[in-house]
Amino acid sequence: MKKNFEFDLNHVLHELKHYLPSQTPLKDFIHHNSLHAFQHHEFFEGIFKASTIFGYKVTLSLNEYRKLYKLGRIRTEILTKTIVDKYGEINFSDWLDKVLNKSYDFEVSTRIGQFRKTWQNFYQIDLDNKVQPLLFRIIGSYLDQGIALWHFPFEDKGLINAVKILEEKSFSSFFKTERAKKLLLDPSLNISKLLKILVDKESLFQEYIFDQQFSHRGWSGIVGAIEDNPNSILYPKSITLKDFITLELLLEIDALTSEYGENWQPLGQLFNKEPADLFAPVANTELQQVLILWQMAFEWSYYDEVFAGLLSLQKQKKAIQKVENTENEAFTSFIGIFCIDERECSIRRHLEFVQPHCETMGCPGFFGVEFYFHPANGKFYEKLCPAPVTPKYLIKEIDSKGVRGHELLFNKKANTIFRGFLITLSLGFWAAIQMVLDILRPKMSSAISDAFAHMNLSSTLQIEASSPVEFENNLQVGFTIKEMADRVENLLRGIGLYQNFPLLVYAVAHGSSSANNPHHGAHDCGACSGRPGSVNSRVFAFMANHKEVRKILVERGLTIPETTQFVGALHDTASDEMAFYDLEILTPANKLNHEANVFNFENALDLNAKERSRRFASIETQKYIKHVRKSIQKRSVSYFEPRPELGHGTNALCFVGHRHLTKGLFLDRRAFMNSYDYRSDPKGDLLLGVMKPLPIVCGGINLEYYFSRVDNYKMGAGTKLPHNVMGLIGVANSSDGDLRPGLPLQMIEVHDPVRLMLIVEHYPEIVLKTIQSSPEYYEWFKNGWVLITVIHPESNQLFTFKNDQFHLYTPLLKVVKESTDVHELIDLATEMKTNEIYHATQEHIPVHILN
Amino acid sequence: MNFYIPLFILIPFIGFVISLIPNNHQEKWIYRTVFMTLITHFLLLTFLCVNGIFQDDFNLFFEGPALYKTNTSNFSFHLYFDVQTGFFAWITDFILILVSTFSKTYLHREKGFKRFFNNMLFFFLGLSIIEFSGNFETLFAGWEIIGIASFLLVAFYKDRYLPAKNAMKLFSAYRIADISMLLGIWLSHHYFKKSLNFQELKFLEINYLGGEHDIYILAIPFLFLLAALVKSAQYPFSSMLPRAMEGPTTSSAIFYGSLSVHMGVFLLLRTFPLWENHFVFKVVVVCFGVVTSLLGTLIARVQSSVKTQIAYSSISQIGIIFIEVALGFHTLALFHFAGNAFLRTYQLLVSPAVLSYLIHDQFFHFIKPNNLIKENLWGRMNMTIFLLSIKEFNMDTNMYQYLWKPLKILGGKLKFFQTGKALILCSLYLAAGFYFIFIKKYYEEAWLHQFSFIGGLLSLGLILSAFESRISAENAWWQIIFSQFLLGQAIALNEQFEIAQLLLFLSGIVFAAFLGFLVLKRLTYKGESILLHKFHGHSYVRPRLSVAFLIACLGLSGFPITPTFIGEDLILGHLHENQIGLTLLISLILILDGLAIYRIYARLFLGPHEGAYHETAYRSS
Repeated sequence: MKKNFEFDLNHVLHELKHYLPSQTPLKDFIHHNSLHAFQHHEFFEGIFKASTIFGYKVTLSLNEYRKLYKLGRIRTEILTKTIVDKYGEINFSDWLDKVLNKSYDFEVSTRIGQFRKTWQNFYQIDLDNKVQPLLFRIIGSYLDQGIALWHFPFEDKGLINAVKILEEKSFSSFFKTERAKKLLLDPSLNISKLLKILVDKESLFQEYIFDQQFSHRGWSGIVGAIEDNPNSILYPKSITLKDFITLELLLEIDALTSEYGENWQPLGQLFNKEPADLFAPVANTELQQVLILWQMAFEWSYYDEVFAGLLSLQKQKKAIQKVENTENEAFTSFIGIFCIDERECSIRRHLEFVQPHCETMGCPGFFGVEFYFHPANGKFYEKLCPAPVTPKYLIKEIDSKGVRGHELLFNKKANTIFRGFLITLSLGFWAAIQMVLDILRPKMSSAISDAFAHMNLSSTLQIEASSPVEFENNLQVGFTIKEMADRVENLLRGIGLYQNFPLLVYAVAHGSSSANNPHHGAHDCGACSGRPGSVNSRVFAFMANHKEVRKILVERGLTIPETTQFVGALHDTASDEMAFYDLEILTPANKLNHEANVFNFENALDLNAKERSRRFASIETQKYIKHVRKSIQKRSVSYFEPRPELGHGTNALCFVGHRHLTKGLFLDRRAFMNSYDYRSDPKGDLLLGVMKPLPIVCGGINLEYYFSRVDNYKMGAGTKLPHNVMGLIGVANSSDGDLRPGLPLQMIEVHDPVRLMLIVEHYPEIVLKTIQSSPEYYEWFKNGWVLITVIHPESNQLFTFKNDQFHLYTPLLKVVKESTDVHELIDLATEMKTNEIYHATQEHIPVHILN
Repeated sequence: MNFYIPLFILIPFIGFVISLIPNNHQEKWIYRTVFMTLITHFLLLTFLCVNGIFQDDFNLFFEGPALYKTNTSNFSFHLYFDVQTGFFAWITDFILILVSTFSKTYLHREKGFKRFFNNMLFFFLGLSIIEFSGNFETLFAGWEIIGIASFLLVAFYKDRYLPAKNAMKLFSAYRIADISMLLGIWLSHHYFKKSLNFQELKFLEINYLGGEHDIYILAIPFLFLLAALVKSAQYPFSSMLPRAMEGPTTSSAIFYGSLSVHMGVFLLLRTFPLWENHFVFKVVVVCFGVVTSLLGTLIARVQSSVKTQIAYSSISQIGIIFIEVALGFHTLALFHFAGNAFLRTYQLLVSPAVLSYLIHDQFFHFIKPNNLIKENLWGRMNMTIFLLSIKEFNMDTNMYQYLWKPLKILGGKLKFFQTGKALILCSLYLAAGFYFIFIKKYYEEAWLHQFSFIGGLLSLGLILSAFESRISAENAWWQIIFSQFLLGQAIALNEQFEIAQLLLFLSGIVFAAFLGFLVLKRLTYKGESILLHKFHGHSYVRPRLSVAFLIACLGLSGFPITPTFIGEDLILGHLHENQIGLTLLISLILILDGLAIYRIYARLFLGPHEGAYHETAYRSS
């Protein structure tokens, strides 16, 4: 905010967009830090500042922490250490008492909204009630992507222009008074002029606009997001936040004028208000300090357990290695490269269990190939790579055998009068039968988002660029040989796969099927802009199988044996099913191999379904495993199931290192795992490339879950059940409600709000150099929005990052739990008590070493 | 066979009571209770229908005990079963079974899981009473139950502002319907000199050709029509329907998509014999049907929110059903009802899926619509219709502007009634009035009428002021109680009648008043604010007080669980049909007292709760 409170519209609009939610329309769901605007502050400083200004709840409540403490989820020794580290031995008992017993006044006053609220003190008028319903209706139909049968006239001319034409030409008006209409049609219409009427004093303009826009941050946010990314909607609309604000100001003037005639006084004249800076520094309160202590103790209670697990696992492994030194180079039957996604953490474990000779690896699920995808007959392109990347390539689907059917009951014509009459009298009765079928026998239909339908199993892709290279809309169609080789090499070296290739390497992407779920994109692959990664895995496999590519790779010192073949695959994380692509290219020997592997995959999927089922009350985990799998599959196609899967709930860790680090450690599906071999990259040249996307992808996911969990009302979307789809761009609670960005309750209810702990296997000095490579990147770690720890590859010591340096960390937990049977662990897990929703689900399982 | 009919009321009632027992975590328990209740009802009903078809005898009748009987009025519990009952009830049961099974998983782990199913069974009880009712009094009881169940389900997410606000909005409209129906019943008592039952109604010969009562025989069906228009969200009440869709999708589906909203059709069919020979009335019904279906479809066309679109589409089809009923195509109307109910239920249940379905569709088939609207007259008409449709033809704002706002302004002007002086004045007036009741015979009737009319005005003043009160709830509560007493007294003074009736009316009020008073005291003692200037959301921390206060409100507003209800009905019986002024006054008081009472409940216990460190929703969310 400018210090002299001079009103600069462009500056205000820029600031507004910065603080408003930046979630784009729901068709693509890209996780991001909900408080990204505060990321230049230290984490706690930032979140409490956001809390003071906007009234968000940014941690769990004091009672929740105290309950966690009672339940042992926050450990005494960690709490002690946290307090001592921060306030020293001397003040320990003092602070302990505050933390455990003192009661605090929770009165929250927010800065936002205070000024504009005073309308009500001077005039008995509820401006929001008068203005918002109509404003939301207008902007809703203006942005509508295809729910309404009539679209907004002149929508290509911009909001204010379209409204102007309607006001001029039609025989009715959005406004109640002539005054507002006149102001609108006045050629000198601008925001300052309207604010002059409403507020009068220029020094108060900015505060007023902020108050106004934050009274419906959902709609304002989407307007800003669409203005900045016009491609985030398919049906193009010309919209600016400026137009939206202008319209709202006009409606406010209209409401006041219709109520009090022309002669009401502007808000700034009614009382003597000092201009205030919304973003002025905030004072620290003792309660905040207590909450910080609790939050840190909560986080470290978990990290400490993980660290202890990691270290004792390494010790055990060393002991075993000494005994079994003879069997050094084990035979590898196949390799599965999965997405780093923490939901793949369990299937990798199960796969290694059913086939001990296989190896699994992790890399971001777009497999290093960034492009737009053009499905056959599609009218648009889909971006298939992490959100910040802008690809230059296009992959086209040439033929598609599958055509999606139409659902009769989704016919929009049922909403018209005459056809509606015929449809109710005919299809109406079919609806009754369909309802019975959907409830008794849920099955896949075209109204359900199907991960496998993203790309048809048997369609052909144009992956290799023709020569000369073709361009379509400034995008290169396909990749050249060299470009392919670059990408394959990059990926393989990055994950440390450069020798000992088995016969088959699977690139397993993931997606998620779900029914009746506007947030389905949030369950798909985050590294593919919220879409299934099937095309990427296919493209990658094609590239890696390409003879010319391999020739180049050999020249670069990366030899893939001729017998080795890559297979693209897709794992549906909701239904636990898998599909494999392009099997016809396999050699007869590999075909046989593959068939054997499919059997292993199937078994692993069974086990994975069983493990997941423990969180679902409707499935009895102890049942026959195939039944459990069937029930899991059914969830993903049931209209009545608001939790087809639990998404990224519980995510907390991110590993960058060899699988040795974690193999044998039970992490309860809480860890992102990126493969990386420090030995192949001693100087850390590749490390930055590997680590670069992690804070934005994994950290974004983690922080979005964090904030949606701690304040599901303001930063999350609230419970899904009353959601009403608005214009195919978002959800709101009722017909007059504001849009609800963020994650719904059903996705975050099992989540523990802890920050992401990145654990890297390398030398501390190399990692430090890497994270300091650029200031924006370093900000994530320096300000503590993502935490980082290094595990020293030789000494096996842990170094945690704090105050710009790595410090040695010795876990407090001495004995790590051990178990011989994962399923016993799962069966014995207790009911979750820590969430405010009782009877919610089973509790998180502590870190175990599996023997 | 007649013997079976009461079971159709008993089963939902027992089911409802049992469903109150388990706690919120015992989801299976709760669902099983619901399912058993519904399936028993359904099977028994199917048996009765099959039996009816084979025996070709669909007219079953059950005369329940008379709850109150005098020589002038007879308030008894009558049940009736005919083809219409069978059809409506069968579809109700079928949809409820499906939707409750759907909801079992859909609402899993929801904080209000139990509350939802309690409400649903309560709603089911109300529906069954309406469908099986044998006379208007019984039907009215069901009508009220549905109203309360709707109010509670709209406010299901009570910790947000909009549900609280929209619940009141719906309730206000419903209250008009209720009182209109009550007046209809009262008039029909006078006209027919007895309580009508539906069996007799079918064979009733109604002569419209003059006589001193012709105005009443017109007024009766119009009053019922008004009730039907509100319940079925016909013009000009349509805008409340989409706004009522605040609860979980499944409750919106059964209430506003399919069942509750068709009860207007049911009432119209039931009262058909009253107006089948009345041409003008039929024209009026057809007009309402035409206007509603046209406006409904236009508004649906421009809606960008999926549930609102479905709501208006449903309203539009119901408009057509109204026309069908008026034209006498009753079988068609029944099937149209069934088809519309099924289709809208389904559409609402899968409404969240529309996002991925339509986006996918758009991805492959999008053609940018051309935007050529010409600026000739036709184009300008188009723009006008578009603009008006976006504004829902001002239905929502008009309702407030022309109906509630004048009353609020008036109430705001009557601050005098909030003072202690006013209460003393009213007490004196009451004391004098009761004195007159006992020595009535010494005074002239005309003088007493005037006295009672002034009492009525005082009562109205009190209730108006309570309706707009922004100060303490306790004050408003007292105003309402005084207003009710004055009302009772005004009627008692109006005519010779038994003291027992007045006591019946007041007994319920006294109990409810006392309970409500206790709750308010308790809240103040706990340091909670009971000012009525905003929603407080106290139910967040004081759920038990919230339930107790709700019961007090039900009692005070004459809900059919209290003696006040019968008293209310009886008391109306003492109005003469030629006392239009007093009748209007009393109806206005009855409408407003309900609103003032539930407003207090809503303001104190609903809405976002602030103060402690927990999440609170945005006002606009």
